[in-house]
Amino acid sequence: MAITRRRAADDEGEISLTPMLDVVFILLIFFIVSTSFVKEPGIDPQRPVAETAAAKARGNILIGISEADAVWMAKRRVPLEDVRRLVEAAVAENPESSVVVVADQRASTGTVMDVMDRARAAGVTTVSVSAEPQA
Amino acid sequence: MIEHRRRRRGGQEAEISITPMLDIVFILLIFFIVTTSFAKEFGVDMNRPSNAPVKEQKRTEVIAVRIVADGRIFVEDRAVDVGAVRANIESGLARKPQASVVVVADRAADAGLMVQVVDQARVAGAANVSLAAPAG
Repeated sequence: MAITRRRAADDEGEISLTPMLDVVFILLIFFIVSTSFVKEPGIDPQRPVAETAAAKARGNILIGISEADAVWMAKRRVPLEDVRRLVEAAVAENPESSVVVVADQRASTGTVMDVMDRARAAGVTTVSVSAEPQA
Repeated sequence: MIEHRRRRRGGQEAEISITPMLDIVFILLIFFIVTTSFAKEFGVDMNRPSNAPVKEQKRTEVIAVRIVADGRIFVEDRAVDVGAVRANIESGLARKPQASVVVVADRAADAGLMVQVVDQARVAGAANVSLAAPAG
């Protein structure tokens, strides 16, 4: 009844936006929830293979270590002394974040440990080393 | 004017225009679509003993795994292959079930090897695997 009345009033037929709005909101909420703002280290080293590798959902501070022991953060090569300051800044932005050290398998253990120690000194409690899960 | 009044009478209740809201919602949606990255990082958790005074560590038993600079691995002073690390730690854990595994890796050793050893120790069932640098 109401529809007929309305039709007569505005002449041209209107498309209901409500279902589209529902879908758009669901998409929006999905993307808000799933966004984690990962800072890519800028290099893609060859990761070691590990059986116990687990997905790090919260790991959003990625620190890359290249084959030649160069440290990369947020697509820039950084000196080892700056790692602590940069991690502190990243933690201040997102206190829930954790560190994943993406080290090349030929990088030296000493550099990996230095980076881990600096991340820990910056106040991050969970530090893990990236690995390829075994197929 | 006339149009407006006609509409009011027709639709009865006043309508709020949702167009501006829709604009904002679309902009937010596009922003989140663009910034989302689904790259999942897989990793192995590492425990690093802190420099803080040692607490309650005195009585616990330790299975020491050493990795020297040239890549050789010693499980409790026995030279072993990467593939044998797991079995050796398993037998060590059978002897002292409460033991924690400490991986002492030389600074010059490959990080990949260190990750593999920690991984194998974890597969062997060690509850507590930590990573240490050799003294000196």
